[in-house]
Amino acid sequence: MWDILKLASLRESQEPGGELCAVNICGRCGPHGRQTGMEPWLGPCYPAGWLGTQPAVSPWRAWRDAAVSLPLAGAGRASPKSGSGWREGRRSPADMMSTKAFTLVSAVEWELLAGDKERVHIECVECCGKNLYVGTGDCVVYHFLLEERALPTGTATFSATKQLHRHLGFRKPVNELRAASALNRLLVLCDNSITLVNMMSLEPVPSGARIKGAAALALNENPVNGDPFCVEVCIISVKRRTIQLFLVYEDRVQIVREVSTPEQPLAVAVDGHFLCLALTTQYIILNYNTGFSQDLFPYCSEEKRPIVKRIGRQEFLLAGPGGLGMFATVAGISQRAPVHWSENVIGAAICFPYVIALDDEFITVHSMLDQQQKQTLPFKEGHILQDFEGRVIVATSKGVYILVPLPLEKQIQDLLASHRVEEALVLAKGARRNIPKEKFQVMYRRILQQAGFIQFAQLQFLEAKELFRSGQLDVRELISLYPFLLPTSSSFTRSHPPLHEYADLNQLTQGDQEKMAKCKRFLMSYLNEVRSTEVANGYKEDIDTALLKLYAEADHDSLLDLLVTENSCLLTDSAAWLEKHNKYFALGLLYHYNNQDAAAVQLWVNIVNGDIHDSTRSDLYEYVVDFLTYSLDQELVWKYADWVLQKSEEVGVQVFTKRPLDKQQNSFNPDSVITCLKKYSKALVKYLEHLVIDRRLQKEEYHTQLALLYLDEVLRQRSGADSGAAEATEAQLKLRHLLQESDLYRVHLLIDRIRGAGLPMESAILHGKLEEHEEALRILVHELRDFPAAEDYCLWRSEGRDPPYRQRLFHTLLAMYLQPGPAAPELTVAATDLLNHHAADFDAARVLPLLPGSWSVQLLHPFLTGAVRSSVHARRTTQVALGLAKSENLIYKYDKMKLKGSSVQLSDKKVCQMCQNPFCEPVFVRYPNGGLVHTHCATSRHTNPSSPGPGART
Amino acid sequence: MRKPDGKIVLLGDMNVGKTSLLQRYMERRFPDTVSTVGGAFYLKQWRSYNISIWDTAGREQFHGLGSMYCRGAAAVILTYDVNHPQSLVELEDRFLGLTDTANTDCLFAIVGNKVDLVEDRAAEAREKEGHGPGTAGGGGGGSPQVPRQVRPEDAVALYKKILKYKMLDEKEVPAAEQMCFETSAKTGYNVDLLFEKEVPAAEQMCFETSAKTGYNVDLLFETLFDMVVPVILRQRAQGPPQTVDISSCKTPRRTRSGCCA
Repeated sequence: MWDILKLASLRESQEPGGELCAVNICGRCGPHGRQTGMEPWLGPCYPAGWLGTQPAVSPWRAWRDAAVSLPLAGAGRASPKSGSGWREGRRSPADMMSTKAFTLVSAVEWELLAGDKERVHIECVECCGKNLYVGTGDCVVYHFLLEERALPTGTATFSATKQLHRHLGFRKPVNELRAASALNRLLVLCDNSITLVNMMSLEPVPSGARIKGAAALALNENPVNGDPFCVEVCIISVKRRTIQLFLVYEDRVQIVREVSTPEQPLAVAVDGHFLCLALTTQYIILNYNTGFSQDLFPYCSEEKRPIVKRIGRQEFLLAGPGGLGMFATVAGISQRAPVHWSENVIGAAICFPYVIALDDEFITVHSMLDQQQKQTLPFKEGHILQDFEGRVIVATSKGVYILVPLPLEKQIQDLLASHRVEEALVLAKGARRNIPKEKFQVMYRRILQQAGFIQFAQLQFLEAKELFRSGQLDVRELISLYPFLLPTSSSFTRSHPPLHEYADLNQLTQGDQEKMAKCKRFLMSYLNEVRSTEVANGYKEDIDTALLKLYAEADHDSLLDLLVTENSCLLTDSAAWLEKHNKYFALGLLYHYNNQDAAAVQLWVNIVNGDIHDSTRSDLYEYVVDFLTYSLDQELVWKYADWVLQKSEEVGVQVFTKRPLDKQQNSFNPDSVITCLKKYSKALVKYLEHLVIDRRLQKEEYHTQLALLYLDEVLRQRSGADSGAAEATEAQLKLRHLLQESDLYRVHLLIDRIRGAGLPMESAILHGKLEEHEEALRILVHELRDFPAAEDYCLWRSEGRDPPYRQRLFHTLLAMYLQPGPAAPELTVAATDLLNHHAADFDAARVLPLLPGSWSVQLLHPFLTGAVRSSVHARRTTQVALGLAKSENLIYKYDKMKLKGSSVQLSDKKVCQMCQNPFCEPVFVRYPNGGLVHTHCATSRHTNPSSPGPGART
Repeated sequence: MRKPDGKIVLLGDMNVGKTSLLQRYMERRFPDTVSTVGGAFYLKQWRSYNISIWDTAGREQFHGLGSMYCRGAAAVILTYDVNHPQSLVELEDRFLGLTDTANTDCLFAIVGNKVDLVEDRAAEAREKEGHGPGTAGGGGGGSPQVPRQVRPEDAVALYKKILKYKMLDEKEVPAAEQMCFETSAKTGYNVDLLFEKEVPAAEQMCFETSAKTGYNVDLLFETLFDMVVPVILRQRAQGPPQTVDISSCKTPRRTRSGCCA
């Protein structure tokens, strides 16, 4: 595009200067801008509809680029499935005619040439844009104008209009014709001489410039000369083993080099400084600049005619042994696998990505991308096959025909239509350079998608997935194949033209259930993979809904995972589907996800009640309880509270007890809960326990109520079972624990309730709570005779109190033991045990008088030892304290003595330091610093100026 | 699609199983193959490198193409049939000359293919095909009357001859036993190793394989790939700017004679 614009601007400025070199990539045409009266670029270089819809960019140019950068790997990745063209015996008829890449159309009929003459023999052909030249055996050059008419099928027809013809004046045939449109010259090889004639008039140039002694010629399409107004021509000289290089200008020729070859050259092609030569026994590459010669490979010129064809920058196509078309670079390396022609191939041409060859009976088309033979056209008596900037011309001695390539897209579609995915992709990839990037990407994506559906239809899911992924398929295209999967609300319509030929999965599988299941499994895994990727962008609802439907239908575990995680399933569509497949539990989850908890719970309740059937969860009741427990919707909880409690009080109450506590504002009012639970005593107990024990609510009502409930339970059990059971029941233990631990319940109420119920231990605890220790201990000692319990009682009640309180309790207990009574011996043992175990908790002095004289010392040995020991200890400690106090006293005495030690003499000569008057009375005040003052002075002046602070007066 | 970084060429007489070896390695199967026309190549991604592996035609008709295929090769796999001594002889007589165009530091591996026929010849013994032992590349995969015609020692001997021919110092190139493989393209035996596996510088460049069974096939290829990578790196390092390392005491001529150390 750039080139064309640039060229256009150059034309306008009428300055075909040095800049033009940049666009002069066509050695044959030279600077196109120089021609007058013709479309300079599009005309000569635009080939026959390579890509039907691509008018702007010169495909010729594109072809060159593509040829240079042809993906080598394409050849290497010859499809294993589709066979390999380069192997003998592989050319099954199906392969041969498999692709329709070209159609053969007639360009010049025999009548047009022969006219009035009896016979005419076409010797050579040249085509340059719309100009078609034909050289005949009777030394006549014909000039035709080619008109191309595109057909709706993508191909084209041609009609040629004869412009003029000219006899060159020899009796020899015209051997070769070459147009140099840049110079407006036609090079005519006839009778070993190259004449320059005007392209339009076919008149020889006035200067009569010609190249003599030429057996064959080739133009350098990759010229090294910088001058755009000359053409580089290479000839095989009539001199033995000689190649000559010329620069041909508008009206003169100039020899630039003569090179001798090791053997006689038979054919030549040129690229830059490199000559590719067919010698008598081998092909070589010869750098005429350096003279370096590189052998390629041997062949036998006696057996067959050599072919040397430049196919792109620095690469040639050669006819090799065994009918091979060999590729070789100027470095002497083959970068593509050879194509396999017949042995008697006459000519070869290139029309990317195809290599076309001509033999006696056929025109064969091979792909350069995978080396496979793609097409065979029967063509008898052909003897010329050449390509002219992408236009392939084939000729017999009597007529000229054009091979019109089908648009690449059409070829690819044909391949896809016959399910030859790999070939289609290779062809599409190979065309990358020929098509503008955007257009290519759109086209290529579409091809990938189509290929994906072909693989999919063959259940090649791995391949299909990869193709869908790289083709960025709109997932809904795939989903839409499956009946009923897309939500009814989906706005999706399949792309047009369709990506595949299937109406739906039923048609694709032809009702085969197993295949259907496989397809569904694939879609499941595929959707699951893509739903979190960007592929899903915009269609999340469609994807998730489809996935839900698939899961539900297949009874797949992931259905629940899908519903409990973030999803975009459409409610109405999904709900109907889930109902249809009896997935009520999942439906509940769906409702929940859509904030319709009431509907969800109702559904689950119905399942639990057996109204509808869904066995997804066997523990659905617990699930509902759990759900309600965490539900923030109080109304909902209240609505189903009765239901859950009726099912199971213990479990059901969890909706109240297990609620997360962190959201206090959402917690229920305990009083209303209790009201609700009135009917369900077990649940009520659980709930009160939760309030009192777990949440430690300090509210008398709850504590009292719980204690009463425990008590009721105990009493109920009592009345039920035989009351003789020695072991305390669980309920009893709970009751006792509560009575002991809690200080909030109404003790008197409980005492009243308990009275006469035969619960002494509980009574004792209650009395203890009232500080009625005598009564409590009495019950424990006399009624229950549970002495350890009595001891524990003392410890329990004295917990956290001062030692005297504890002593008082123990003394009370001891006194009770020592009371005279019928059970005296037993109590005596208890008393001694008590004394011996808790020696420190007694005042021995008070104990000893209480003890009966009959007790042996041995009996109370531990107590006495302890008592004596502590008494001795107390005495000694006291003595130590006394001693320490005495020595402290002594220290103070010493200090006092020291202060009294010095005497003060008072005489008449001493004066008061304050008033400076002598002392007249024996009373005085002495300050610690030794100053003496009158007593009245001391009282009037409290502070001595020289000694701050009141000193000790003496 | 990138330009290949390195080239490996399979050479050997017709019917020794070059194509089978390659297909066994690339496609993990042992299909019936027909005589290769001209040549073909596969592209193998090995680590970050693209290695092209050229399968050549063993037929005399295409012999002339061998030189061109070998041009610039980083490694050449010389293949013979362990059941046909002549195929080993042909390697030296006919194919060694083709490798003159390969890189000067080209690696050589010698592969004895069709070891599966040696191993379970009992099963194949009844199959009889009329071809003399001296006929170059007789019927494909035919069962020999005599169990093993070529011993690995013969391959090692050839390898040493090649080194002599190339005027390479034995100490500077992979030792013979390292570069001789026996494979089975049929079973896959040793095939991967040949192309991929890294083998310590022990003497292991001769392989015995069976393309049919796949015996040694992977071993064959993977060994070679790992050896080719340093060659590629060296070629890149020696790229267009021909910097002379003045700290190197070697003369250019000696360097050119190819040191693999």
